[in-house]
Amino acid sequence: MQINFALKEVNCKIVYYGPGLSGKTTNLEVIHSKAPTTNRGELTSIATEGDRTLFFDFLPLNLGNVAGMKTKFQLYTVPGQVFYNSTRKLVLQGVDGVVFVADSRRGKLEENTESLENLKENMAEYGLTLQTTPFVIQYNKRDLEDIHTVEELDRALNTVNAPTVEASALTGEGVFPTLKKLAGMVLENLNRQQSSSVVRRRMLAKEPVAAGVKARAGEAAAAPSTPSAPSRPAGRAASEQPAVVKEHVASGVKPVERRVPPKGASGVKPRVTPRRENASGRPAASPAARDVAQGERPAAGSRAALYIVLTLVVLGGAAAALYYTGVLGKLLG
Amino acid sequence: MSDSKCIILIDREGYMVTKTGHTEDFDMQAISALVAGSYAATREMARLLGEEEFSVLFHQGKRDSIQLTLVGDRTILATVFDERTTIGMVRLYAKEASQKLDKLFEDISQRDDDGSEHIGADFAKSAKDQLDAVFSD
Repeated sequence: MQINFALKEVNCKIVYYGPGLSGKTTNLEVIHSKAPTTNRGELTSIATEGDRTLFFDFLPLNLGNVAGMKTKFQLYTVPGQVFYNSTRKLVLQGVDGVVFVADSRRGKLEENTESLENLKENMAEYGLTLQTTPFVIQYNKRDLEDIHTVEELDRALNTVNAPTVEASALTGEGVFPTLKKLAGMVLENLNRQQSSSVVRRRMLAKEPVAAGVKARAGEAAAAPSTPSAPSRPAGRAASEQPAVVKEHVASGVKPVERRVPPKGASGVKPRVTPRRENASGRPAASPAARDVAQGERPAAGSRAALYIVLTLVVLGGAAAALYYTGVLGKLLG
Repeated sequence: MSDSKCIILIDREGYMVTKTGHTEDFDMQAISALVAGSYAATREMARLLGEEEFSVLFHQGKRDSIQLTLVGDRTILATVFDERTTIGMVRLYAKEASQKLDKLFEDISQRDDDGSEHIGADFAKSAKDQLDAVFSD
């Protein structure tokens, strides 16, 4: 989650998880095609030639102004195939909410449970659990005939009593309700975290922030340009409000060695497909997002000084040469 | 000073923090997500090779190139540049900027938080209304 107070922006990350061919990418495609053009950005897919997700699909969604904050969701899918676990784990980094897209067809129950277990393991590596993270299960492919009943699926998959939505991503049914449910939970969670963190911050005012990075955008930009400037007065520092606050669960993250042999991954040709149907989702250039490149300014002074020194050396050399030429001339003459 | 086209500061989760330069032609959200993904994949590659981290990544194109420099342990400085400058110049200045930004982030993270900024109390309700408006079938 990223809360940028300078730009008045809230960014949340939602990941669609589930076994291969359960319909995660189709969910995103439906959202992309049905969401109002003013609210959605471009759908980017890193997929193989066979249209299987290789790394992730990405779709930014703009919810608009919520209590004075521009609220955006970044929707990701993971590659469902078992051997892509390392990339799946990477996509989960910093996740704020998870949709588990389950395949309702008979014979797929084992794949579903395996994927769910894998989700739990991968989340645990970031110190997250399904109980504490906003989580919705989507029973997909309900339009097909040979499918499990909702009760059967609930028994097998919904051990954490998560909200469930029946869907048929292919026809678009249930796709928006799933997202709406999860988005609501994510924002509620954010609201709760924020109000409790204000209290906590007051209580632990002296405790340094463990893993959060807070930066004032202008400050981040200006600092490199003033390397030799004295540190800012304490009063000013206190009056300045941090622009970017990122909150993360840092505890419990441990690099567990889990390697899955990339069998069958050979011959896969990755391709990135930006579906450029709409450019309106592009964020406007922000005045607060100032020039990071100003960091190059201090070098301007040193370069100028270098030129001056070089010029002096050349002039000195020339003068010395003239002088010795004169002396030599006298000696020889 | 390095004559780069644009510079973007991105965090590891794929959110853009700030940007500068000629960025109008680019879809910043998608670029940020892809840069973070690319970096995450590289980091995993480094780990598998027994290397702690690859702190600089460079993609060369026919016209434009991009260099990614790690800032601290959770932010990436992406520099897009063309033939008007050289990789050496970009690398030199990016390294300098990265070190300064790292120091700055470190300082700020140590600073006391006065708790003056937080999401408004009506956020949850407002969010619900907005969700109804946007995601009506």
